[in-house]
Amino acid sequence: MFEIDYGDDGEVMCSGRLDASQCAKAQSFMDEIADTRTLDFSGLEYISSAGLGILLKTQKRLAESGAALKITNVNNHIYDVFRYSGFNAIFDIKAKE
Amino acid sequence: MHRQFARDYDSLTAIYEFAEEILAANEIGEAVRFPVHLAMEELFTNMVKYSPDTDSEIGVDIVVDGRAVTVTLTEDDVDEFDVTQAPDVDIGAPLAERTPGGLGLHLLQNIVDELEYDYHNRRSRVIFTKESG
Repeated sequence: MFEIDYGDDGEVMCSGRLDASQCAKAQSFMDEIADTRTLDFSGLEYISSAGLGILLKTQKRLAESGAALKITNVNNHIYDVFRYSGFNAIFDIKAKE
Repeated sequence: MHRQFARDYDSLTAIYEFAEEILAANEIGEAVRFPVHLAMEELFTNMVKYSPDTDSEIGVDIVVDGRAVTVTLTEDDVDEFDVTQAPDVDIGAPLAERTPGGLGLHLLQNIVDELEYDYHNRRSRVIFTKESG
């Protein structure tokens, strides 16, 4: 199960498991983002390359207008996935404290 | 334990639950469970994506031996696709040059300890092992 919605301060709250079966839901939400936005991953347990593809596609689109996604509260396992993928060089990522 | 799954992304939850049942019963920690789930998804979705002309189910076997978890995914009536020979991904490329293609197999090769591929009589079999500690 994967959930995505805006939080009280305009950040994007993500929770659950972002796998290949949940990509359509994630992609349709991300397609509506038009400015710099923080994704709060405090509730996100898991991500695969399918989810990485959505993040990358959105980051490339936003970069054309000078905007960007920032990602915060990333758990250790997802942080490792980002690191293995080189995403720590193309996203502003903050690990969960 | 062995189970068959429909060749569909919607099988991922059932695969996750199948693996969790076995890994939890064997007290396998999260440090191994996460990469095992990730490797299983990357291999399963790769099979679904690159063999669209067959509707054969995909078999999943999970064996826990001490600290090692070995998973085998098997599919029939498919062309050869050696996941151990996937082209490398330039993870240092700037954003404008990055594409999502190939990231799944790149991740796979980074998170498992052993990875084997076998192809015979149109049967494709991938075996990976992940060890704790």
